[in-house]
Amino acid sequence: MVSAQSAEVGGSTRRRPPLPVKLVIAGGFGVGKTTTVGSISEISPLTTEADMTSAAAGIDDASKVPGKRTTTVAMDFGCITIDESLKLYLFGTPGQDRFGFMWDDLAIGAIGALVIVDSRRLDDCYPAVDYFERLGLPFVVAVNRFDGAVAHDLPSIRWALAVDDAVPLITFDARDKLSVRDALLVVLDRALAKARAAQTER
Amino acid sequence: MTRDKTPTERTAGALVRPFLSGDGAGGVDGAHGTDDRADAPVPDGALRPFLLTAGRVAGQDSIAIETQVVTTDTGRTAVDQLGFERRDIVSLCGNPLSVAEIAAQLSLHLGVVRVLVGDLSADGHLSVYLPNADASTDVDTLLRVIRGLRAIG
Repeated sequence: MVSAQSAEVGGSTRRRPPLPVKLVIAGGFGVGKTTTVGSISEISPLTTEADMTSAAAGIDDASKVPGKRTTTVAMDFGCITIDESLKLYLFGTPGQDRFGFMWDDLAIGAIGALVIVDSRRLDDCYPAVDYFERLGLPFVVAVNRFDGAVAHDLPSIRWALAVDDAVPLITFDARDKLSVRDALLVVLDRALAKARAAQTER
Repeated sequence: MTRDKTPTERTAGALVRPFLSGDGAGGVDGAHGTDDRADAPVPDGALRPFLLTAGRVAGQDSIAIETQVVTTDTGRTAVDQLGFERRDIVSLCGNPLSVAEIAAQLSLHLGVVRVLVGDLSADGHLSVYLPNADASTDVDTLLRVIRGLRAIG
């Protein structure tokens, strides 16, 4: 039975690749997407960064993000081998709005999304929230605890974001592997609940 | 996918490398690419990435970024007869790799890789395993992912 992988195109091969599944890591500029991917990925995140002083100067506003010198202009991603026949990919969305047209590539077929929020700059995550709501992709809003602190309490953040009560709102630490793992598990829970609901309808 | 490597890191075929003169060579062309595959800015003066594909940008829509690619026996035999990027891809995929990883490791534009992988697959040099579209909503698959994540300690 060919359940894990559907069509194979081309000639014969020796080794069957794992079934790839993916999660999207989204959020505004400088919220910690690359850090999040790097904390849990088993490979160093494959990242494309351009120096702020050349490509992105005047476009990205790094003044609000002390110490941030570069920004991701293409996607960055990592992976986690779940078992020998299943591999989870984590794709970080490009940090700028002008790359928004690439999001479909990342989001179509994804399990769900983690929308990372910097509580000092909530509006940065509006495009991501809008996008996933429209797509109907399960997502979780995760407030990154920069330096252990969150600027507003969660109810205020939920109010400001105007996300549905059903959308989980959590805090996590992008630098901490287990914290990232737990955040991803919340996304998986959402996706599982949705998949089970769809299954019952059938 | 492409902007982090300097031209000097690549030798063969460097003349047609995308974003070749990218060291601050001017404005980012935000309006570049009316098709949704052209997902990176092109600095002024750089050769266009899709030169590598004879201008084709369509590729196979079915090839997603996480699509797994493996070199076939045919590909292994023919690798020396292939041109620069095609040879790089066929050499790289002895073990399964995703399209995204190929693009990152070879510093190639994702859209370019999609087209080239489609070609190489049509020629029998690569096997392309199209992702099961239902995997992300399959309860058993999701449970496996959850178990796998919980095992991370």
